[in-house]
Amino acid sequence: MNWKDIRTLYVREVRSALRERGIVVNSIIIPIVLYPLLMWLIFTGLTYVSGQTAGLTSYVMLRNLPEAHLALQRAIEAEPGIDLEDSATPEADIRNGELDLIIDFVQVQDAPALAEGNVGARVTYDASRDRSATARARVKRVIDRYRDQFIEREAGKLGISKTQLQGFRVDEMNVSTNSEMGRFVLALLLPVMMVVMLAMGAIYPAIDATAGERETGTWETMMTAATSRANILAAKYLYVATMSFVAGCLNVTAMMFTMRSNLTTLGGASGLTFSVQLESIPVIFLGAALLALFVSAGMLILASFARTFREGQSLVSPFMIVFILPLMFIQSPSQEYTSKVAFIPIVNVAMMFRQAIVGRYEWTPIAITIAVELVCVIAALKLAATIVEYEDFITGSYNGTFLKFVRQRILRRDGQGGAVAS
Amino acid sequence: MLAEHSEPSASSAPAAKAAPVVVRNLTKTFLDESRGTIHAVDGVSFECREGEVFGLLGANGAGKTTTLRMLSTIISPTSGSAQLLGHDIVKDPAGVRRSLGFYSASTALYPRLTARETIEFFARINQYPEDKVKARVEALIARFGISKYADVRVEKLSSGMKQKVSIARTVAHNPFILIFDEPTVGLDVLNAIEVQEAIHELRNDGRTIIFSTHIMSEAEKLCDRIAIIHNGRILACDTLEGLRATTGQHYLEDIFVQYVKSPV
Repeated sequence: MNWKDIRTLYVREVRSALRERGIVVNSIIIPIVLYPLLMWLIFTGLTYVSGQTAGLTSYVMLRNLPEAHLALQRAIEAEPGIDLEDSATPEADIRNGELDLIIDFVQVQDAPALAEGNVGARVTYDASRDRSATARARVKRVIDRYRDQFIEREAGKLGISKTQLQGFRVDEMNVSTNSEMGRFVLALLLPVMMVVMLAMGAIYPAIDATAGERETGTWETMMTAATSRANILAAKYLYVATMSFVAGCLNVTAMMFTMRSNLTTLGGASGLTFSVQLESIPVIFLGAALLALFVSAGMLILASFARTFREGQSLVSPFMIVFILPLMFIQSPSQEYTSKVAFIPIVNVAMMFRQAIVGRYEWTPIAITIAVELVCVIAALKLAATIVEYEDFITGSYNGTFLKFVRQRILRRDGQGGAVAS
Repeated sequence: MLAEHSEPSASSAPAAKAAPVVVRNLTKTFLDESRGTIHAVDGVSFECREGEVFGLLGANGAGKTTTLRMLSTIISPTSGSAQLLGHDIVKDPAGVRRSLGFYSASTALYPRLTARETIEFFARINQYPEDKVKARVEALIARFGISKYADVRVEKLSSGMKQKVSIARTVAHNPFILIFDEPTVGLDVLNAIEVQEAIHELRNDGRTIIFSTHIMSEAEKLCDRIAIIHNGRILACDTLEGLRATTGQHYLEDIFVQYVKSPV
């Protein structure tokens, strides 16, 4: 390896890449803009839908309301967006959309009523209609409020507490802070986005550095240069890995800022904050670098079997799917980052990201992840080095696919049709 | 002048008067899945002298490009040997590449680099002394008259301009041996003449040039000696006068046909 030559070749690759619209768009612009733009659109859409919903009137019917609870009727009437209606055929009206909800009040017969005027309420609505579901949410809010006040008042009359009157009462308390909840949400989204972007960032550079060079005719020019093929390969590899890493990191950074600005506003009531701890950043970058090295090696190998840019795209696209597919695995909520999981390439890094984002560091799986990814990278590079030894591959006269090449030359080593180049 | 002899070179000029290019029984065999074994080059031997243009004349598929690809170490020979300035093409491919400039119709330029960046890149990667790269680039830009578009990207240049940049990048590291593999294929007459003039000047500079073509007039005009290659074998190798004397034909086309149809 001659690092001076590799640097010269690398600078040439990067300089060319930064002047190619397709690469700049895919590796820089899209990672920065695409997801923030999508999130902005979703945010705007949700705001619009929320605004539309706020202007909606829910038609509600009260049936058999006891006199003792007329205050509830007044509370419902006072609620914005709810109109009380009467109907002779209320169930049918809910079905045909003329009524949104019925509240039936039923006397509690079996249980001894500690509270005076104890009553039950049954809400009938159509969950398959948005209007009806919205009416349910509005009515539930009012009923819950009224019920709390009623229980408190009746408990007071009996000289007992609200809890004593209610019996088995369930209260919830979330021990997570808002920033921890924010990190949890980030951990669900960012690893997937990161892996997708690392792959996307590598596609164009990988094709450009191989099939693109064959198409433009610069491949042969390069093969006559006074530097070894290992240097040429190393420079191309570092270039593709750089573009992939840059795309991944830009995307995560852009996503973070977008979520902080958009989701914080959207989830204002919940008060979530979206930020990661400083100490998790090196782990995230390490994972991104490992995956960038792996995906770049894979894509470079596949794209180098193509003679044209278009052919390169069709060869690399399946690999991108294979690369992203394991992410389905981490969507399972029961999935833990164990030492066993750390042996599964790609999934291990995605899980490592996830843990780092929520601020958990399990060093044994992390060490296994790093080792496994490095083995994958070394294996891919070894394969690439073997491939460029074949001169029919170098001269572009090899007609087969990658799988055929592996079958013929790597597994059987019969060297058919391609002597090993010096 | 393309290069002063005092100017540094990525390769050293031959110390003794040994032929800069020595080719002995060079053979290249391919195994094709559908056609079986193909002897693309079959025991080719020749020597090129210092300061001469050595022509490889042959029809398409005769073995010219395969021979030149072996000499430029893009592919390795099945058997036989070749030395360029004493560097063996199998044992010392890096030394060979430093010693030669390779130009062919299929060796294109990087479209998104400027002409200046292109020449600079090839000078560096072909091991021209780092501290002299800038001066060399400026000298070549001036020599080939590409100052006006030196900072324009190659993709925006006309084919004639690209041609000049291409030759400039071939000689960027000041190699002693130059290989031109069918350099005028696809060029219009004026551009082809420019290439021929450049080759002529390089020869006058004392470079050793291997020039392959299937165009008879080009070979007649440029080559000091001509090797007629057919089916991977060299059928004859001599000066034009020598070939005329041997065959009794005046025109190279007739000489070529005579050798190919009934080898002397």
